Amino acid sequence: MFEQIKEIIVNYVDVEESAVTENSRFIEDLGFNSYDFMSFLGEVEETFEITVEEEDVLKITTVGEAIKYIESLK
Amino acid sequence: MDKSKVKTLQDLIAESAECYGDKTFLKEKIGKNIVETSFRQLCENSKRVGRFLAETQGKKVHASLIGATSSAYLTAYFGTACSGNVIVPLDAQMKEDDLCDHLRRSDSEVFFFDKKFVPMLDAVRKNCPMVKTFVSLQEVEGETSLAKVLESYEPMEWTPISPDSLAAILFTSGTTGLSKGVMLLHSNFIDNTMCQDNESDESDVLLSVLPIHHVYCFTCDILLSLRYGTQVCVNDSMMHIAQNLKLFQPTIILLVPMIAETIYRKIKAFTDAHPEADINAVATATFGGRLRGIYSGGAYLNPTLSEAYRSFNIPIAQGYGMTECSPRISTAHLDDTNMESVGTIVNGCQVKIVDGEIWAKSPSVMAGYYKNPEATAESLTEDGWLRTGDLGYVDNTNHLYITGRKKNLIILSNGENVSPEELENKFSGLDWLSEVLVYAEDGQITAEIYPNQEFLAENGIDKIKELFTNHVSEVNKTVSTPKAIRRMRIRDVEFNKTTSKKIKRKQDIIGELIK
Repeated sequence: MFEQIKEIIVNYVDVEESAVTENSRFIEDLGFNSYDFMSFLGEVEETFEITVEEEDVLKITTVGEAIKYIESLK
Repeated sequence: MDKSKVKTLQDLIAESAECYGDKTFLKEKIGKNIVETSFRQLCENSKRVGRFLAETQGKKVHASLIGATSSAYLTAYFGTACSGNVIVPLDAQMKEDDLCDHLRRSDSEVFFFDKKFVPMLDAVRKNCPMVKTFVSLQEVEGETSLAKVLESYEPMEWTPISPDSLAAILFTSGTTGLSKGVMLLHSNFIDNTMCQDNESDESDVLLSVLPIHHVYCFTCDILLSLRYGTQVCVNDSMMHIAQNLKLFQPTIILLVPMIAETIYRKIKAFTDAHPEADINAVATATFGGRLRGIYSGGAYLNPTLSEAYRSFNIPIAQGYGMTECSPRISTAHLDDTNMESVGTIVNGCQVKIVDGEIWAKSPSVMAGYYKNPEATAESLTEDGWLRTGDLGYVDNTNHLYITGRKKNLIILSNGENVSPEELENKFSGLDWLSEVLVYAEDGQITAEIYPNQEFLAENGIDKIKELFTNHVSEVNKTVSTPKAIRRMRIRDVEFNKTTSKKIKRKQDIIGELIK
């Protein structure tokens, strides 16, 4: 899953896959803005066939948290 | 549609059903399905809600409505307003206390709610005893649903209503106790819907992305589409805007500048990574392939961004207005190349500049603030001029220009007035910068920035400091000495924003002082 998430991330922000770790924070470390982040989650929904609740969006700050969240829905 | 027949929202809905009948008015995603509602169905269903209100309430009432754009939402809206009742659309981001406060202050006796608000119902029932009737917009166990209402009540025969009757109370943003309820009459909505001509037609498809409780979205996405027979597709979430642009392939879209800017950056990032790609083709595909233009409103649109969009052959135009004017005062034209202005003043609206402030007078201007004569007197003159609170000017081609907000003016100790927006606008189009706010701190004009995080990651904070300092020197060369920026701060988190994505002027000062 981590690999797949990394592939999606690099489509949204200008970072190398190798620079993305589970501890990377989307906004502070990877340079997402709020709209990029929403679009990114939209793609995550499609890729993993899940539905992300908008209320949950604020709880996700790092890549690791996103992975845990996705796994909890699968 | 024959404009002369339309004087109220009731006429507008009836005429749209007459002119466009079974054509699809609204498309929305519900689960995996796309559900369509025709112009005729919206009219019929609104009449069912009208009968429900007449039979259960036995008098004219105020009904609050909270939720996202949907067929159910619009049915509750028009069902209430077209049967002579008053609709109160509330901000769907509201918290429990604010919700109860607004229900009480609007004297609502009926509450239409999205299922997201079910956890707040206990508090509403406890704190707002005058709310007697609850209707859920979706199926919710133990509650009367709108679908059930539509099933149980036959369409009523509408009794004609006066164009001067109250249609809606819309709260301006503001914290508890401070927001004001703008009273809009049927004639206000209709004037604003009918003031221009040939803006759209039956071949257009519009993607509605803005929050529906704002009058900009309601008038320009919904009422104009009912007039012109335009199909409206609902963007269900900001998470899905990219997918929805591809799915619905809209021809027009109304945005706030922040969304336009992010989409632009994404197109730019893609073409930077794929230099062989044709940027116009990428831009066209990003917007679904059929977009003929973007209308921007709600905040300042940077002319550099308009130019960039125009270079992709996607015209973007900005208009100007406010809730108190239903909302349009000036309107955008896609073929207008004047990027600095906020469009031309709409037909039937008079504008004059009084001490630098824009005043407007038109049949779209509100009746006043609900139960707030003091605020009404501050906003409306005795002879009906609306003091907009915005600073600006009009040129000899009827184009309107905004230079700032009167209440944001920084008054310096020497009595000189500085418009922070005027300085902030000098920071537009910089690749190292995401956001800027100008304010006075200890009597010193201060610029606080949130750098572009990608740029920061690549170039480091020292580079940002250098660019910021140099840019401030350049800006200071263009303004008189008292208006010069004296302090600079850099913050590492985004500024707090309103639900419509505008930066809030009142913020905690957290940026690191660098000068």
